[in-house]
Parts: sequence; structure tokens; C-alpha cells
Amino acid sequence: MTITLYDFELSGNCYKLRLLMSILNLPYDIVPVDFFPGREHKSDAFLRLNPFGQLPVLRDDDLVLSDSGAILAYLAIKYDASGLWFPDDPATTAEVLRWHAVADDITSTSSAARLALGYDYKFDIEKSQQGAHRIFRLMDEHLWFGEKAGRDWLCSPAHPTTADIACFPYVMLSEEGGISRQDYPALRRWTDRVRRIPGFVVMSGIFPAGPARAE
Amino acid sequence: MPLSLSDPHWYPIASSDDLPFRHVYQGQLLGRELAVWRADDGHVNVWENRCLHRGVRLSIGINEGQELKCQYHGWRYANQSAGCTYIPAHPADAPARRIENRKYPMREAFGLIWSAANDDQAFVPFPGAGDHDWFALRPVPVNAAPEDVVAGLARLAPDDQPADLLPGMAVRLDGVVYFVQPVDAGRAVIRGLLPQASGDPITILRHYNELLTRLRDRLERAAARKPAPEPLQPAYEKVSADLATMPEIAIPRGNTLPVLVRRKWQTADGVIGFELAGRDGKHLPTFQPGAHIDLHLPNGLIRQYSITNGPGDLLSYVIGVKAESASKGGSKVLVETVREGDVLAISEPRNNFPLRRDATRTVLIAGGIGITPLLSMARFLDQSSLPYELHYFTRSGESAAFKSELDVLHGAVHIHSGLAREAIQGTVNEVLGPHDFANHVYVCGPGAMLEMVTRTAAALGWPDEAVHFEYFQNDKVIDSSSAFDVELARSAMTLHVPAGRTILEVMREAGLTVPSSCEQGACGTCLTTVMEGEVDHQDVYLNKTEKASNTCMMTCVSRAKSARLVLDI
Ligand SMILES: N[C@@H](CCC(=O)N[C@@H](CS)C(=O)NCC(=O)O)C(=O)O
Repeated sequence: MTITLYDFELSGNCYKLRLLMSILNLPYDIVPVDFFPGREHKSDAFLRLNPFGQLPVLRDDDLVLSDSGAILAYLAIKYDASGLWFPDDPATTAEVLRWHAVADDITSTSSAARLALGYDYKFDIEKSQQGAHRIFRLMDEHLWFGEKAGRDWLCSPAHPTTADIACFPYVMLSEEGGISRQDYPALRRWTDRVRRIPGFVVMSGIFPAGPARAE
Repeated sequence: MPLSLSDPHWYPIASSDDLPFRHVYQGQLLGRELAVWRADDGHVNVWENRCLHRGVRLSIGINEGQELKCQYHGWRYANQSAGCTYIPAHPADAPARRIENRKYPMREAFGLIWSAANDDQAFVPFPGAGDHDWFALRPVPVNAAPEDVVAGLARLAPDDQPADLLPGMAVRLDGVVYFVQPVDAGRAVIRGLLPQASGDPITILRHYNELLTRLRDRLERAAARKPAPEPLQPAYEKVSADLATMPEIAIPRGNTLPVLVRRKWQTADGVIGFELAGRDGKHLPTFQPGAHIDLHLPNGLIRQYSITNGPGDLLSYVIGVKAESASKGGSKVLVETVREGDVLAISEPRNNFPLRRDATRTVLIAGGIGITPLLSMARFLDQSSLPYELHYFTRSGESAAFKSELDVLHGAVHIHSGLAREAIQGTVNEVLGPHDFANHVYVCGPGAMLEMVTRTAAALGWPDEAVHFEYFQNDKVIDSSSAFDVELARSAMTLHVPAGRTILEVMREAGLTVPSSCEQGACGTCLTTVMEGEVDHQDVYLNKTEKASNTCMMTCVSRAKSARLVLDI
């Protein structure tokens, strides 16, 4: 197997895959795509890989995949022998996919605000920010009651899943879109927990957390 | 009533549960952003949310347990004092001036963390606080003016049972006490306390969460119809350019502070531990690993003792005193006559033995009572999960001091007891090995041991900058061959200091009263500000940077390189 990631270093959606592959200890090659300012993801060559013209794209031998959530599921099902990252159970699968969808909503709000502020994109900044706040409020509430019930992650299992990986990057990068997380203390604590997952890696703008309690 | 930046009321700013192990919470009160973190010892710190260096938010920093480390350039600040303990860009320097972040008052009570904009009011629990055990509701942030939120809460009350408005934006309603945290002119957080009762807590919490969420939505809709209030404009004290880089040299102030001997115990045969605490229960000044204090003894002598504490451990200092050295009149008085409950005076901590925290290999070598500064260093490295090895040599029949403190360290701690001289030499040789980049050794112990380690290190190719040690006694031969004039600026006199006499002696002969103690350039008592002229430093009290600054000197041993010195006396 040879995995190749078509990657842009500052993309949170590409980072999701780097993060899971690092946690799963999967070797892969990187092909850098000049998303900004080169707009290479709209080039003919790239559109042949992904007609939707979006990063990330992942190639595994001859198989070419796009959409970060779909690729997270693929990698976990295929390469995570523990079966923990994308659990094979109907109810849990539905739960994980539900949060993959939230992750896309976070991309279209928090990431859009960031692209508008830092990358010259013509998105409605205020609307994007408000949309992100609406999602973060719900996530904070979900995670706060989760903590009270002894649940540390977005889904019910007692361990993280691809749902946590999918939602993490653009929560963490929200300040770059002018979206403060001050009002979401439980969301902030969850980002500490994600950053303490063994194999965690950073990207620009995402700092490591301090060590967890030694058991 | 508009919000005021100087509102002295105490408000809840977080729940106790918001501060789990090694987390940094981001809060805000009356426009001021806060970084709030619980140290491993349980103490909750409420600080201004900016690193003094470049203004980066400390809430994205790393809670190392007893110190908070800024993500940007790694400045570290101590639990309790918020004093800066380390500047990575100047790893070999001890910040001579005290750099302290801004702190706010803090109380932890009823499951909430409380703070205030200033110290003007004492914390007073809300009326009826003592009647129950309380638990905190899920806090609900609201984008609306705090006073409108108070009014909205009050309107939740049924007509026949009006809400009880309490001081400090609090409302008692149907057994629940709600507090409105004034975040800013247009933002608030509703916090609530509920008496502990039977019933499923999650169901209860969900019920109130729903109630408050509905209220929040109503308040936010109303707020959106009004012009947004101007946010408060807290004045951040501007960080001066020199504070943002390396602290300049400050003249050690010579201030003393009273401390209470809280505990005196035998930590090993012949080694007495003293725990010295502030008299008001407040924390003592920030110190860095390797620092010492001057202890003013009842018989008028001044002696130096290293602080053994770990990071952010500022409620008392623990020092170790060797009982046997009766010759040094100082220790004898301490050991024989000072009791628990006595009050002594100490200086602020000083550091001539700074620890780098960027080494790939740190070797700590202690001989006998020399363990004290190295114990502190080991504790700092331990807390930051940095690698180190500690080698502690004790004489035969001598037991290891601070054994239980050493036992809880995670690094490589080796106690070598009763080795003969050659065996010690062999061990030191082996332990040091050839020098590599970013290797540093720190040694403290008897003169002979210091000499052996520095000689061995040099022979193995260790550069001087990698070998760190500290003197408490001035063993250098004083060169008193120079002759020069001293002008005493405030006393309006000029004196000649001939070869063979000290500045101190000449000043006394001229009728001046000047304080001194050890008269060998070790204790710091005769420290004097230099206004002009070039100093010939011969003391072991000032550190390299302080000496190079040419702004102060010890008149008991140091002299002039120039023909004339002008002193602030
Ligand atoms: N649902 C997609 C969204 C991917 C996405 O928005 N990618 C960004 C880069 S981070 C992109 O390529 N945007 C360009 C576009 O949508 O035209 C995923 O999760 O992979």
C-alpha cells in the first residue's frame, strides 16, 4: 500500500487526515497543492482527481478519494486494527457520521471566516462567525453534559473516534476567523483532551497542550 | 446603572469544575480578560490574560503544574506570585528585576471561583450561603447587558413571590441563587447555585439549563433590537520595552522581610530543616531554582542559605542547615537557639546560580549540604518533565538530607555514600563523560569537591559556560594594591583609599556609619550604588551581569580601576 495525501499545509481539512494517520502510525507521502495563493485545486490536473475542486484528496494505491470525513472513515475501517476510531456498530456509526456532518458545518462557518479574514475569500464574515458560535454553543452544551455523565468525547464510546478528529481543527483555528472560544469552557477542555491523544501532531496555529495526569 | 471598571464587587468567574488538571481557563470580568488556572497544589491563579513579553494570551499557554508557560516565547510564571521565573532567550541569566504579571483577587467557595476588579472589598458570602451545601448550574453566557440579564432573571419570578435582589448582581429565586457575571458592557454569564438535594443531578441540571437557555434567547433577541453598548475599555498597563526584553539590572534593594519559623526538624543526622513562612499567610517572593536568601540571625550575623523548594511553591521556603559547623557561628545559633514560632528576617531571594532549561543533558552534582540548591533545580526540571541526573555524595556515616523529597522525583537520582576521594573522582569522571552540545553541569558542595568537578570537567573538554557553581564564601585572594579616591555624593566628601585599606574602613574612619556584616564580599550588606568610575569587583555576591553593569559594588572588598569613584552615600 502507498498512501499519498494531496495536501495544503494550512488546511484544517487536510490536517484531519495527517492527524489520524499520525495517531494510527501510518506512513504516507505528501504532494503539496498550492491552495493559496496559487489556486492549484482548481487546475485541470487537480480537477481530474476531484471534480469538486476541493482539498484534501487521498490516493491509496489506485484508489482516489476525496472529502475529509469520508477519508477518515476509510482509513479507520481499513487500517485501525483496534476498531476504535470508527466503531463497527450501527448506532455508533450513525453517531459518528452525525458529527462528521457537524464538521462540515464547522468548515462552512469557522473555516469560511478564517478564509475571509486571512486568505482574501469573499465570504460574509459576520454570518460565518455567527454560524460558528451557534455550533460551538451546542457543542459546549453537549460536552458539558457529557463530562457530567463521564463522557469525554463527542460520541458515546469511552474513547475518541473520527468524529473528534473531524470537528477538532476548525474549532481550534476559530480565533483566526475572529471567533473567540471564551464562552465555551467545556469545548476548550475537550480540545485539551484531543491534544493529549497519543500520536497527536500540531499544524500552524494549533499548539500542543500540557501533559495529562500520570496514572 | 452602567458598569464601572472599578466596581469593587466580587463576582463568580468560573465553576470549580472548570479548572481540571493542567488546564488554563479563559475568563473575563468587567472587560478584563483573565487566564485562570489551578496549580497542582490546588491553588487557583487569576491573572491578566497576557504574557508580559509580547502580550500573547496566557490562556493558550501550558499549565505545567506549578508554573504557567507562554506558548509564544516560553516565558514561565510561578504559581501564587505570577513572577517570571525563566526567559528562554536568556537561559543563563536570572532575571534580576522582579517581573510579575498582574493578578486579581481570588476565592474558591460554593463550587465557584470568585474574583474582583480590585482589592477594595473583602469577600463576603451571599446572604444565606451558610444554610446549605451548594452545587453549581451549567453557566450560560448571554450576549446582553448584565443589568438587563439581572432584570430578566427577576422577571422569571411569579407575581406573588417576587425575586429577592442581592448585592453584586445576584437574584434569589425559588431557592436558587443566580449570579450575573458582568463580562463586559454587552455580555454576561448567568451562574447559579442550587442547594444540594436528593434527585438525579443531571435531570435537575438539564431542567435549569433549559430554563436559562430560553431566557438567554429572549434576552439576546431584545438586545439585538437595541444599539450595542460600548465595550468597557480597561487600560492595560503598557509593558515597557525593557520589560519586553531582558530585564535590566536592578540594584538589589537590601529590603528584608519577616518570616516565621513554621517548622524545624532533623532531615538527616546533622542537617536541620527550617520552614520559613510569611507572617500574614501570603506567599513569599518569586525565586528561581538555585536562588538563596540571606538570613539575619538573632546574633546580628547574616548567612546565605539556598532555597530547596520546587516551582510555584511560595507559601514558605525550606532551607537546610548543617548543624556541625559550629565554627561558622551562624549555623550554631540557628540550630541551637532558634525555635518554631520565632520570627527571623530574610532578604528577597537572589540568584547567582541560574538553571538553564534548554539543556539536552543536565547533570547535578551535590556534596553534603550542597544538595539544597540542587534539590530545587531537580524539582523544577522534574515538574517540566525535562531530563536530568542528580548525583549526591555523602560522607561515610553521614545520611542523605531531604531523602523523602528526593524519593518522589522522577529523574535519575543517585546517592553515593562513603566513597573515598579516588572513588569520587572516578564517579565524577564517569558521570560527566565527554562534553556534548547543550550539556550542563551544576555543582554545589565543599570547596574541594567544587575544585575536583571543575578540574575534571575542564579535562574532559567541558567549556566554562557549561560548568555552573556558586560560592557562599569568598575564597579569592583580595588584591588591595590599588589606591584611588572615593567621592561620597550625598555626604559631600572625598576620601582617599590607600593600598591595603578598604573603602569601608576609610569611610568609617571618616566618621560615617555604614552597615556591613561578613566583610569578605559574600553577604551583600555593604552594597552601594555607584554613580561614576569603574569598579574593580572582588566579591562573590554580585552575579556576572550585575558586575558588568558597573552600577553597584561591595565596599568591603571591591575597589576602583579608575582614579576616582563616585558613590551614592
Ligand atoms: N467536505 C470537504 C470540504 C473540503 C474543503 O472545504 N476544502 C477546502 C480546503 S480546506 C477547499 O478545498 N476549498 C475550496 C473550494 O471549496 O472551492 C472535506 O471535508 O474534505
